[in-house]
Amino acid sequence: MDFLRPSTWDEALAAKAAHPDAVPIAGGTDVMVELNFDRRRPPALLDLTRVAPLTEWGTDGDLLRVGAGVSYRRIIEELGSRLPGLAMASRTVGSPQIRNRGTVGGNLGSASPAGDAHPPLLAAGALVELASVRGVRRVPVDGFFRGPKRSVLEPDELIAGFLVRPGGAQQFAKVGTRNAMVIAVCSFALSLSLETRSVGTGIGSAAPTPLRATEAEEFLSRELDWEARGPVPPSVAQRFGELVAAAASPIDDVRGTAAYRSHALSVLARRTLAWAWKGFREVGP
Amino acid sequence: MTTHAKTPVDPAPSVPVGGAVGRPVDRRDGHAKVTGAARFSAEHHYPDLTYATMVHATIARGTITAIDTAAAVAVPGVVAVLTHLNAPRIRPVRKGNIVRDLGPSVSGTEVNYLNTDQVFWDGQPIAVVVAQTSVAANEAAPLVTVTYREQQARVDFAAEQHNATPAKGDLTFAGTKKKGDAEAALATAQVSVDLRYTTPGLQHNTIEPHATIAVWSGDHLTVHDTTQSTDASHKYLAWRFGVPAAQVRVRAEFVGGAFGGKFAVWPGTVIAAMAAKAVGRPVRLALSRKAVSRAAGGRTASTNRIALGATRDGRLTALIQDSITHVGSVGGLLEATSSPARHLYGAKNMLTRQNLVEMDLLPNTWLRAPGEAIGSFVLESAMDELAYELAMDPIDLRMRNEPATDPTSGKKFSQRMLREAFEAGAERFGWADRNPSPRSMRDGEWLVGMGAATAYHPVLRLVADVKVRLSNDGTALVQCGFHEMGMAAATVQAQIAADALGIAYEKVRVEYGDSDLPPGPMAGNSNQTATVATSVLAACAELTRKVTALARKTGTTGQEPAATLRAAHTPFLEASVGSTSRLGSLRSQGRFLATFLKDQRWSKAARGAQFCEVRVNADTGELRISRWLGMFDVGHIINPKTAASQLRGSIVMGIGMAMSEQTLVDPRNGRTMSAGLDSYYLPVHADIPPIDVAWLNEPDKSMPLGIIGLGEVGMTGVAAAIANAVYHATGRRIRDLPISLDKTL
Ligand SMILES: Cc1cc2nc3c(=O)[nH]c(=O)nc-3n(C[C@H](O)[C@H](O)[C@H](O)COP(=O)(O)OP(=O)(O)OC[C@H]3O[C@@H](n4cnc5c(N)ncnc54)[C@H](O)[C@@H]3O)c2cc1C
Repeated sequence: MDFLRPSTWDEALAAKAAHPDAVPIAGGTDVMVELNFDRRRPPALLDLTRVAPLTEWGTDGDLLRVGAGVSYRRIIEELGSRLPGLAMASRTVGSPQIRNRGTVGGNLGSASPAGDAHPPLLAAGALVELASVRGVRRVPVDGFFRGPKRSVLEPDELIAGFLVRPGGAQQFAKVGTRNAMVIAVCSFALSLSLETRSVGTGIGSAAPTPLRATEAEEFLSRELDWEARGPVPPSVAQRFGELVAAAASPIDDVRGTAAYRSHALSVLARRTLAWAWKGFREVGP
Repeated sequence: MTTHAKTPVDPAPSVPVGGAVGRPVDRRDGHAKVTGAARFSAEHHYPDLTYATMVHATIARGTITAIDTAAAVAVPGVVAVLTHLNAPRIRPVRKGNIVRDLGPSVSGTEVNYLNTDQVFWDGQPIAVVVAQTSVAANEAAPLVTVTYREQQARVDFAAEQHNATPAKGDLTFAGTKKKGDAEAALATAQVSVDLRYTTPGLQHNTIEPHATIAVWSGDHLTVHDTTQSTDASHKYLAWRFGVPAAQVRVRAEFVGGAFGGKFAVWPGTVIAAMAAKAVGRPVRLALSRKAVSRAAGGRTASTNRIALGATRDGRLTALIQDSITHVGSVGGLLEATSSPARHLYGAKNMLTRQNLVEMDLLPNTWLRAPGEAIGSFVLESAMDELAYELAMDPIDLRMRNEPATDPTSGKKFSQRMLREAFEAGAERFGWADRNPSPRSMRDGEWLVGMGAATAYHPVLRLVADVKVRLSNDGTALVQCGFHEMGMAAATVQAQIAADALGIAYEKVRVEYGDSDLPPGPMAGNSNQTATVATSVLAACAELTRKVTALARKTGTTGQEPAATLRAAHTPFLEASVGSTSRLGSLRSQGRFLATFLKDQRWSKAARGAQFCEVRVNADTGELRISRWLGMFDVGHIINPKTAASQLRGSIVMGIGMAMSEQTLVDPRNGRTMSAGLDSYYLPVHADIPPIDVAWLNEPDKSMPLGIIGLGEVGMTGVAAAIANAVYHATGRRIRDLPISLDKTL
């Protein structure tokens, strides 16, 4: 197995173009598991850890741009106030060791329906920046996932980072079979923007891909009392929960039944709505 | 070179002479383990070491018709690939008599690995790759291609249960026990429950996976092995390889947890020794966690009917437990799930039956509190259900059925303080603050519940040979081939020997974990501390007599023992219990029988009262355990610190069994799907509440120093206490473990 170690972004893109079957490795918390279990034997690994720009974040116009190689730990410590939803999700990932190594870029690269970074990125309407020697493109994250562990990433492309508009109220909730170090049975992220009076959602672990509950978003953005920020009527919260659950297509597996997942999703939807709206009412936009 | 900052090492606790027993002395192996100085089985260095990886069968039952090793052999660094076609022939497994000689019967399975073309379970090792590096061996192993003629296999426990037949049982545990007419009593009982509980299979997940280094020197074999039975396994290997037992040495100075999974000899040990013989070089075979789950047994799944009949005032008139568990077609253990039901409550009429179903799965084995872990879940959940039927406090119901003598055998209890344990526990836990109605306690969105259950584990005592040497420099050396799997076995025996000899604790050295030492007992059934203590005390008593005699002669009476030895110009004195000569072994067996028969006069057990508080999220069903208390009746505590760790650790294991652990077997092909920590959920720190453990510290007068083994009792009753608390919180009974989220809603 070859081990390619580019030290600049251009070298990385060139290497990926020259070796489209090379598997990129960032934190390695998914890749190394696959290699250890002999699930795959790629001809080459493309180590991205020396490519400095991948580990940087900054602004791009009024968007926040975060490099694919920023670890969960840094998201929590450095971006907690700008991207609270993603930071909440990051806190639930694995263990401290995994949060030190694991990256959002790697989570996107794996494209698991259970990836915890995905729901908050969906809810925030993030763009995923993909690059190759052919050029750069920005894909809305809800168009990024194509199936379980499949995405629109082309063989010669790398994930450069993601972009989000900071602000608003964001929440994330996850249910698992134990209290930590656990793959979500289901998860949900919500984002509310007073400015645009819009609602964003993201569902994890309850369909072949992470996905948005678009009908639920439209319903809620119509029903919320944005002006006076009055309380959310219970019937609205209820309906919102139902619409979120309806958007998912869960299955029975060893972690939980489909019926349980639908039920839990509607609970998480109502719960995150209550938290997020309370935040608005208390501290303002 | 970097110099390491000198961190102050904790000064040895200053233990007063004569006051070692009962003190919270630190574990002797602690420093070596946290600094990495301790050498575990796979960590011994040999200049010519090779590395082995096993190839596992991918069918559950059938015959190997062809096996192609060419691609594996071609991997650079591969030294040999052994299969049933070219592996050294060794003797078949011999069925042994457990009383006469544990050695031959200590096999995990009856299969003669790599000496047969027959496959008996998915995962059975059928070939081994030996290479210069572990990487080469791991790379080559999957390249061995095997063709099979498959046979119909029995792999789905649920589907096979109707084939279960009554189990025979053995010397220590009968398959069926009857008293009166339990079915008739149940039919006419004023109040009754008749319930069905199931538990899934469980896997061993010790921190150190099974590993072996085997080294032949001529026809002498040395094996570094992850074992909790050095004596039995060295005899076993001697038989299998046809060499005298004196030429086989099994070493296990440090074992990273065992819990019963390292009692039997599993394929890795035999195959490592076989491979070392074949390649003429030392072989290291360290199993991956996945390989452990395929080639070293775990706990059986079970289905249990339990029925209780009682008078309206809560006196049990009928107790019936019918359990079905499984074994493999090539070995396995009768898991004594009725053990608690036979010895806990004074029911007038009792019927407990064990039924076995044979399956084409990896044979099951001992796993912490085999029998009682399942049995206490079944019995103690049912007692709680009966208490609610009777509208009675569940502890009160138990106390109303406290028997005067053992309910099955009628024997006297050597000690029984369950009532005191419940009383002290209830007080300390605040049981009285609980509103008994289900779903009555709430904290925001969390439903709060409290549950209790009885913990029970019987006492077993085996025999140990021990040699103690007292030297004129004031030190003593205790030698016994017992096992240190992290429980502080050596620490505790040093405490006992120090006080028995009247010397300082720090002056006692203990050697263990080596079959070249005087043979110790296997470390299982919570027997080891009391078994070894019996012989350590006897040897120290003899040594003390010798010193006293010598002191009289030299006029040093009243001085410390070393002074007497110096005055007599004697470098050391020794005393032994047992010997490995032919006569000595016969005598040991005699001692075993004598102790066994003596212990049989009593009904002896470790007991306790488990209390927990749980929170169940009313909306999502998430279960969180918020508080724990275990109040134990476990005899005289030699070391409060290490005893507390054993009890606490057992409770953690019980929490895993209750909440998340389960072996998932694919019902189509018998493959273990939960072959790793990514798919077999052990509890994590965040699942474990503060655990309060306490004990009555009342010595069992029939045991040496009043010791009752406590390595397993802490695991019993845990799952029931949680299930009972979940009922109290939610009003939902959970009769099928584990208690997953979807079941609590
Ligand atoms: C013990 C443990 C616990 C875990 N717990 C969780 C959890 O709770 N929640 C969760 O969501 N995940 C969890 N994971 C999975 C894993 O940690 C995450 O998916 C993590 O985000 C992966 O990031 P990484 O940097 O380690 O990726 P890597 O393993 O380095 O890569 C993952 C994938 O992404 C590709 N890739 C990486 N970077 C790029 C790039 N820049 N461009 C293109 N492709 C790229 C790789 O080729 C690979 O396919 C856990 C893993 C372990 C081992």
